[in-house]
Amino acid sequence: MDFGLTQTQKLIRTSAREFLADRSGPATVRAVADGDTEVAANLWMDVVELGWPALTVSEQHGGAGLSFSDLAVLLEELGATLAPVPIAESAITARILERFGQDALKAELLPQIADGDVLITPAIVGRDASWDAHNTGTVANRTGSGLVITGEARFVSFANQATHALTLVNTDDDQFAMVVVPIWKSPGVEQIPLNHASGTPVYSLTFNEVEAPTSNIVATGTEAVAAAAELVATGSVARATQLAGLARAVVDSTVEYTAGRQQFGRPVGSFQAVQHHLAEMAIAAKQVNHLAHAAAWSFSQDGYSVDRAARAKIAASEKIADLCWTAHQCHGAIGFTWEHNLHLYTRRALAWKTDFGDAAFHKAILASAMGL
Amino acid sequence: MRFDFTPEESDFRRKLSAFLDGALPADWHGPADESRDDHWALNQQIKKGLADRGWFVMSWPTEYGGADSSPMMNTIFAEEMAYRRAPGHDRFGTRMLGPTLMRFGSDSQRAEHLGAIARGEVQWCQGYSEPNSGSDLASLQTRAVLDGDNFIVNGAKIWTSLAHRADMMFMLVRTDPDAAPHKGISLLLVDMKTPGIQVLPIINMAGVHSFNQVVFDDVRVPQANLVGDLNDGWRVGMTVLNFERSGIDYAVWARAALEELVDYVKNDDSLVSTVKTNPEVRGKLASLNTEIEAARLLCYDVAWRQGQGEVPSAEASISKVAGTEIYAKVLDYGTELLGMYGALEPGSEQAELQGNFLKMRLFATSGPILAGTNEIQKNIIAQRGLNLPRAPRR
Ligand SMILES: Cc1cc2nc3c(=O)[nH]c(=O)nc-3n(C[C@H](O)[C@H](O)[C@H](O)COP(=O)(O)OP(=O)(O)OC[C@H]3O[C@@H](n4cnc5c(N)ncnc54)[C@H](O)[C@@H]3O)c2cc1C
Repeated sequence: MDFGLTQTQKLIRTSAREFLADRSGPATVRAVADGDTEVAANLWMDVVELGWPALTVSEQHGGAGLSFSDLAVLLEELGATLAPVPIAESAITARILERFGQDALKAELLPQIADGDVLITPAIVGRDASWDAHNTGTVANRTGSGLVITGEARFVSFANQATHALTLVNTDDDQFAMVVVPIWKSPGVEQIPLNHASGTPVYSLTFNEVEAPTSNIVATGTEAVAAAAELVATGSVARATQLAGLARAVVDSTVEYTAGRQQFGRPVGSFQAVQHHLAEMAIAAKQVNHLAHAAAWSFSQDGYSVDRAARAKIAASEKIADLCWTAHQCHGAIGFTWEHNLHLYTRRALAWKTDFGDAAFHKAILASAMGL
Repeated sequence: MRFDFTPEESDFRRKLSAFLDGALPADWHGPADESRDDHWALNQQIKKGLADRGWFVMSWPTEYGGADSSPMMNTIFAEEMAYRRAPGHDRFGTRMLGPTLMRFGSDSQRAEHLGAIARGEVQWCQGYSEPNSGSDLASLQTRAVLDGDNFIVNGAKIWTSLAHRADMMFMLVRTDPDAAPHKGISLLLVDMKTPGIQVLPIINMAGVHSFNQVVFDDVRVPQANLVGDLNDGWRVGMTVLNFERSGIDYAVWARAALEELVDYVKNDDSLVSTVKTNPEVRGKLASLNTEIEAARLLCYDVAWRQGQGEVPSAEASISKVAGTEIYAKVLDYGTELLGMYGALEPGSEQAELQGNFLKMRLFATSGPILAGTNEIQKNIIAQRGLNLPRAPRR
């Protein structure tokens, strides 16, 4: 066991903190939450400049070849600052490509992902909003040259910035296929913006006979379902790690506020009622942090730990929004204002409770993994 | 013991409900309490309707235009209004200031204000909290200095709900800075149109303008607007807070929200209808139902005690904590059951149940904070209710 950071991880953390403090402050977060797509696009360009999309892409394909555990250090910082950038989205879809894609597709897309020219976002949830890998809102007809896709994918993060969507489709031969669908200015794709409490750009996509060449197929049949399940697991760990960072930031700012706020001639943070709130918040934040990093660490070339991944999101989903509500309680009326930043954290924590599967979804997975 | 309502109580509930059927728009989903600003015209209309029917101040004695109705009837009134999420009841005038004036006001103050409140013609706001005085209200610093026949008021109030709609404010001011904190405070009635008053809007975290900062710059308030004795404002003003502290609104909002949620889950067309056979979901909904009923009974208990002539304090705090907590819990579970849709804001494309559960959840954050935080309420329960020793003063 080693709870310390490696040299590389220290470097990631320091440079991320520096950049995010400078470039992703509350004004940026609020602008993106208000739907300013230009601010979001500019931030993404700067992030690409820093080489973040390349971090976990393999060296063979032009990336830095770092581990998912290294990425988790960055994700934690992104969570702590609510940075509205699709690093998690990019990294998890790239990983699925690396693990399941054909060599030609990998050789084509991965270097472009590392360079930030291609951004692939997961789009595997249909109208029923289920993260079950067997549920998809899209169907595809096979033609000589590829797939023609129709249907809808809901709750697609950063669809407006993405060049492609990674989608699971039901094919006409009663099979599944996981496919990379071009969505950037694609004629058959309609993007419906949602007003999502996460404060990040989230869209529903309608596919109307959208063509994807055969070469874009990542996997078919049970392999495709496995890839979809792994995509959800990977995404859920990414979210758990971001939520761990978010929790840390909320604990820190609440400690700072309650230590300064005076009532009855003393800091409100000196009252045991408030101290116990904060102690419980700190316990929850640490639990989620450890479970998330332990899960992220389990991701290797060969796969990941199913039970660690499930535990990370169960804990994050169950604890972090509650932690934010407790933070509100510690702040009193000031935290109930629009002007105060706390609600931005609370909204995101609430929104991501369910993203990539809620606690109940992951409990079912964990129970199976426990042999039940 | 008896756990039903008298025929008179049930009859009243039916009549009020029928009135609201007519008064509320057909597609009324209702805002939570703090968004009344969105529906001010409706608020005024319903206020008038209630006043015309003699319900608006029915808890008041007949000599002031009330019906001397029992605390249980008043609870039923509050309950039915909250259940329908109806705007139009005025907690500041009818529940707080009215009873205070009856007890401490001068004859001319009663004559001037009680009738106007009873007829629903005037909106009051409560100017107690200050930027540096929240839970520790007795530390308030807004200063009032007597100058001839007027007090000159300087300072700032904050979180003043509805100040931007109010005609009048009842406010606590410091009139003797040298006395002990509780001994140098007075209660004043202030016309919001007085020169020197500035109302600055504060938008709440649900995006609604419901409270404000109110700044006083050499505001002249006639001495005749002092309620009770000079420097006795703490006692006078705290009477108000005793009327304020009840969980009934929250317990009933919780009931309404749970019913909406259950209807949604039961509906085969809803996106989550498959969960209705899930034992974990059924169990959770049942336990919420149980806690709501418990919170409701706690509120009835307070009303019953009041009817017996008691002044329940710890019981009122218990009902406030239980009500505000269960309301938040129901909404938490609602947003959770809505799954990914629970994260969609009102007005969003593809939102389910109008995005109301998210909005209500955000509002519900204020319940455990306002009218005395739940931590303060728990201190009261422990110290006054359970007679536990107080922490020694250092
Ligand atoms: C929606 C809303 C509407 C409001 N409307 C009005 C209004 O119309 N008029 C008005 O005058 N005020 C109004 N208020 C203000 C309200 O009364 C205060 O918010 C409340 O008294 C708490 O004060 P505070 O917000 O300053 O929190 P603080 O007092 O700063 O409390 C911060 C934290 O410290 C805790 N704490 C403080 N003291 C103790 C203690 N002794 N023991 C344990 N814990 C403690 C609190 O519980 C809280 O968790 C409103 C507030 C809200 C949120």
